[in-house]
Order: sequence, then C-alpha cells, then structure tokens
Amino acid sequence: MLTVKDLQKVYNGTVVVNIPELTIYAGEAIGLVGNNGAGKTTLFRLVLDLIRPTKGEVYAKDVNVAKSEDWKAYTGSHLDEGFLIDYLTAEEYFKFIGDLHGLSDGDITERLLPFVDLFNDEILNQRKYIRDFSKGNQKKIGIAAAALSNPELLILDEPFANLDPSSQIRLKNLLRHLRDQKRMTMLISSHDLSHVIEVCERILILEKGQLVQDMQTNENTLRELETYFTV
Amino acid sequence: MLLTLLTHQWKADVRSSVFQKGLALNIIMGLLILYFGGIFLFLGFNIDDILLKVFPSQDPVAVFNGGMLYYFLMDLFFRFMLQEMPVLAVQPYLHLPVGKNRLVHFVLVKSVFSFLNVLPLLFMVPFMVSAVVPAYGAGVASVWLLALVALTLFNNFVLLYFKRQLAAKPLYTLAFGVVVSAVMLLDYFDLLSLNVASRAAFGQLLLQPWLVAVPLLLVAVAYTFNFRFLKEHTYPEELQVRKATKVSGSNIAFLSRFGEIGKLIELELKLIWRNKRPKSTLVMSAFILFYGVIFYKEPYMDGYAMLIFVGLMMTGMAMFSYGQFVPGWQSTHFDALLTQRISIYQFLKAKYWMFLAVTLFAYLITLPYGLLGYKILIINTVALLYNIGVNVFIIFYFSAYNTSRLDLSRGSAFNWQGVGASKFVMMLPLIIIPLLIYMPFGLMDVPYVGLATIGGLGLLGLIFQKQLLQWSARWFMKHKYKLATGFRQSE
Repeated sequence: MLTVKDLQKVYNGTVVVNIPELTIYAGEAIGLVGNNGAGKTTLFRLVLDLIRPTKGEVYAKDVNVAKSEDWKAYTGSHLDEGFLIDYLTAEEYFKFIGDLHGLSDGDITERLLPFVDLFNDEILNQRKYIRDFSKGNQKKIGIAAAALSNPELLILDEPFANLDPSSQIRLKNLLRHLRDQKRMTMLISSHDLSHVIEVCERILILEKGQLVQDMQTNENTLRELETYFTV
Repeated sequence: MLLTLLTHQWKADVRSSVFQKGLALNIIMGLLILYFGGIFLFLGFNIDDILLKVFPSQDPVAVFNGGMLYYFLMDLFFRFMLQEMPVLAVQPYLHLPVGKNRLVHFVLVKSVFSFLNVLPLLFMVPFMVSAVVPAYGAGVASVWLLALVALTLFNNFVLLYFKRQLAAKPLYTLAFGVVVSAVMLLDYFDLLSLNVASRAAFGQLLLQPWLVAVPLLLVAVAYTFNFRFLKEHTYPEELQVRKATKVSGSNIAFLSRFGEIGKLIELELKLIWRNKRPKSTLVMSAFILFYGVIFYKEPYMDGYAMLIFVGLMMTGMAMFSYGQFVPGWQSTHFDALLTQRISIYQFLKAKYWMFLAVTLFAYLITLPYGLLGYKILIINTVALLYNIGVNVFIIFYFSAYNTSRLDLSRGSAFNWQGVGASKFVMMLPLIIIPLLIYMPFGLMDVPYVGLATIGGLGLLGLIFQKQLLQWSARWFMKHKYKLATGFRQSE
C-alpha cells in the first residue's frame, strides 16, 4: 500500500525524519508512537505530500505521491485543524467532502451513522461554524470527514487527543470496526499506548526521526512499550 | 469545481468574524465604500469635462490616455503595499481529491476579485461611456476598456508573482523594483516621457483595435508564469510568504536592572518585534512624524488649535495607535499573565514607561521642526506633557473595554480585527479634550494661557502618576474577568 524509500527531511541542518525503508501492506493498521519531536507528524505530512522531502520518495500503490495525485482518491486523512474549512458548518463540510467523492446526501447520512455515538449530539444540527467548535469536537469532525469516503488508506494524527474518555473508547471501537469491516489500511499516531495497541496490529516506534522498532502487537506489547518509554 | 471553491471563498468572506461582530463598524465600512465608490463614479462621469477645462485645447481622451501609464505604475506601487497573497486558503484542500491544477487556478482566479481590480472599473466604465464612445464608437471603446482591464489584471498577476518571489529570490523583486523606479526617475528628469509613450500606445489602440491582443497576451503570459510557479510550490511551508522566522531580538541586558517592570517591558518589546501586527502599527504611526511637513506653513502657522492637534498627533501617535488595543496585544496569553506573579499595577506601569519613552522619543525626533518657529517648540512640549500626563490614563481607562482578541500575525493595514466602535469613541477624547480646553482661551485671545493650562494638566498627571496608575490598576482589576473571557473567544 505504502512504500517509503530513503526518506529524509531536514530543517536548518537538523534531520527531522530519516527512514531508509518502510513498507506498509494493504489492510494493516499501523500505530506510530514516539515522544514529542520524534517526527510523527512530519512523516504524515511527507506521506500526504504536504511538505517536500529533502531526499527520497513515498510511494502509494507504487506511485510517487509527489508526482501524481492518484493517492488522493483513496486516502482519507486528518492531522490538525488546518485540514478543516473552518468557516463552514459541519454539515456543509461533510457535504463538500462527500461531493468530492461523488456521494449523494443519502450516502453521507448513512456513512455518518456509525459516528452518531461519537458525535454525542454535539456535532450535527448545531448551526455553528467549525471554528466555533471545541478542539475535541473539531477533531471528531475531521476524523469523520476523513473516513467518510471509505478510504483504503486512513491517516490520523493523534486521534485520541482532546477527546473525553467516553469518546476515546467510542473512537477506539469505531476504528476497530472500520479496520475489520472495511479492511482499511490505517496509519495512526498516538501518545496513548494502550489505545494504539488495541486498534493497531503493528507498532512502529519513532525516535528523533529514526524508525527504532517495528513490532507486531501481542499480549506483551504494552509492557514492552512501557519499558521502552520508561526513562 | 472551480465554482464550488469560489463559493467557499464567498462564504469565508461573508462569514468572517470581522463582519459578524460590530454593526457600527459595518455601517462605517459601508459608508466608506459608498463614499469612495461615489467619488470614483463622479470622477468617471465628469473627468472629461474636468480635463477639457484644465487642458482646453486637447482631446480629453488623449489626455486621459497620457495619464494611463502613470496610473498603472502607481497601481503597482499600491498593490505592493496592499495586495495580499491569497494562498493559505488552499491548505484545507491539499489532502483531498482536488487536482493541484484546479487549486492553482482557484488561487489565481480568486485574486481577480480583489477591490484593487474592481475599483478602477468604477471610473473607467463611466469615462468610456461619456467620452470614448461618442468619439470612437461603441466597438472601439469596448476594445479600449478591454485593454485597460487586461492591463489591470496584468499588474495584478505580475505583482503576485514578484511578491511571491520576495521570499525565495529577493533579488528578482529588487531588480523589478529598481526597473520601475528607474523608469519613474527617467520620466521625472524628462529623459523619457511616459506621457508621450502612454498617449502613443493608447492612441494607436483606438486607431487599430486589433492591438488589444498585446495586453491580452501580457495577461496570459503573466498568468502562465504564476501558474507554473505555484504548481511547483503547492506545499504550505513554501507557499507562505513569511517563512518560519528565526528567533530575533536577544535579551536586553540593561532592562533587567529595572526588576519586574524591566522584564515586562522586555517581554513587550519582543512581542512588538516578533509579530507583524504590532510592528506594522508602529511603522505606520511613524509616518505621522511627517505631519509637520504638511502643516507647518501658512495658513496653519497663524493659529494655535491646528498646531496643537499636529503636536498631539506627532508626539502621541505611536502611543495612540498601539495603546488603543491595550491589553489586546496580550490577548493570546492573557490568562497566563493573570496567573503569574505579576500585579496589574506592574503590568500597567510597564506600559506607562514604554509609552513615556516612545512619546519622548517622538518629541525628540520632531524637535528640528522647532527651527520653523519657537511657537512650534512650545506647542509640541505642551503636547508632550499632555500626552504623557493625561492621555496615557485615558488610554488605560478605555483599555478595560478592549475585550476582543487580536491575531498578531496579520498586518495592520486594512485589518479591522479588534476594531470596534469603542476605538473610535476612544480616539476622540485624546485629541478633542485638549482642544476643548484650549478653546475658551483661544476665544479670549490669550493663547499662551491656554497652552499653559494644557501643559499644566499634563504636569499634574506626571506628578500624581503613582496615584493615577494605582487608580488605573483598580479600574483594570474590576474588568479583568470580562477581558479574559473576551480574549478566550478565538475569532
């Protein structure tokens, strides 16, 4: 699904991301963990062609993401509030994303159904602009919009951050559902080790831009991760 | 698709928080637009008569044509100052299945609807109808108009291109600026007549309408250049004209000797230095220092009221324009300030000393105007005393009403964020009260007693500054919750 080759991003002489090789297979759910400044978001931005790599390439389905825009059709993503069009209402935004993927109004309503619990009656029919929602609710809108098109590849940066405990659990179940039912390939970063282990079957640890560990999730993973991050 | 993007743009403008906040502000904006629009329309319909009166023997169309090149050069200058880069708006679309070509077209097409492009039409069209059509017929006249519109758009795209290059290749932009200035200078020294060139070019156009192809081609070329450049650089970090700047402005050692107050001043200086809006506010207020050049001559020199006004503005403008938003400058971290070990009294005292310093500085800079007459010297000194003795506290009084959050990263020209009705109300007493104080003395023909009174009030304020500051702090305390709540509402 995704292949990273020899990827490097350098800011003012500091190497922020340096990944010689990484392959992600279709249907895999990948959890990306690492401390602040490890380069998680930068890696996502490189995958989404939002920043120009200093060196190397990212291939989605064997096509370089910087050269062709084919990946946009099957990729849903939400990194931060910059992905939202903040002067639209939530409905208008979903409608816009839906239109881009040729979804009818009915389709959109239907695809938002799994999100009803997560939305907790705070998102739809609110008569307010996205910029006026709280951070947590903005995040919910972004995640729903990213998943709206049933993308083959779903990229989320810190989806659990800013959410209340109930929403975190609901989101976790929702992501598991998407992974099992729709066979989505997922790339999720999180600081919450237990959540990410429950959702993802493969964990990557990033440190100072380098990929230091690549493991399959099993019953010992949480302990291993905790050991790793205990300083 | 392009249409959807444009409707989004429309929504963004209509729903922008600036419009939704103050009704009073909208009315004032509306009146301003009507006023300027009206002036342009009036000019458009009457300019042929005016030109006939000024240049009786010449064809008004030819005179108008002669001015066109000047106009387009001026237009370039204004665009350089005012035109914004419509760029970051594409960020929310980059990860969506919207083609890059479309987005780039969108960014470019969007720039066409700027008021800088629409406003000239307001006088070009009426002039065409009232002067060009009767002389040359509707067909040729519309070709003429088309050529002018094309050149306006050419300016639009050329400037967008060079302004964008400013970040990547400053030399390009500099070279462009040098060429434009060189042309202006050559014209000024009569080595090259823009007037004649302009007349010839636009005159030919009226005789041979097919020449309109030239400006149209120019637009196409400029558009293509922009398109290519943007297509290559659709990455948000490269599109931003202003890149993530390096940390500038180091610690100012001598300020730390003044304890807490010194630290607060240092903090505020960094805030000004490192953010666009406060910086441009101060830079713009520096232009007021040239007021003297305009006003220090007959007939103003005979009276006093006008000179008092000029003196107040020149010494106080930096304080007025920066002070009118206090404490909004700290709006993003106001909560942090309230929870730190800083008292409101210290906070205001730091501001007070800053205002004192900057006002004194403006006074010193404008001292040379005193060579034009000792009267100016006296009046400016009086204005200085009044500004730092009385006006400071008026600003502090009104600051308790500044509950709107400011985005420091945007420039201050045409930026109405945080500008509410209270701003207009507040600017008035700063200027009007001293003039009112002076008025009876002026009427009684004892101007120097009036000046002494104004200056005396200022001195009183200086003497009782501690008490006044304490009173301001108490006043501020009373309003701090309201302020903090207002600042927490982003946009």
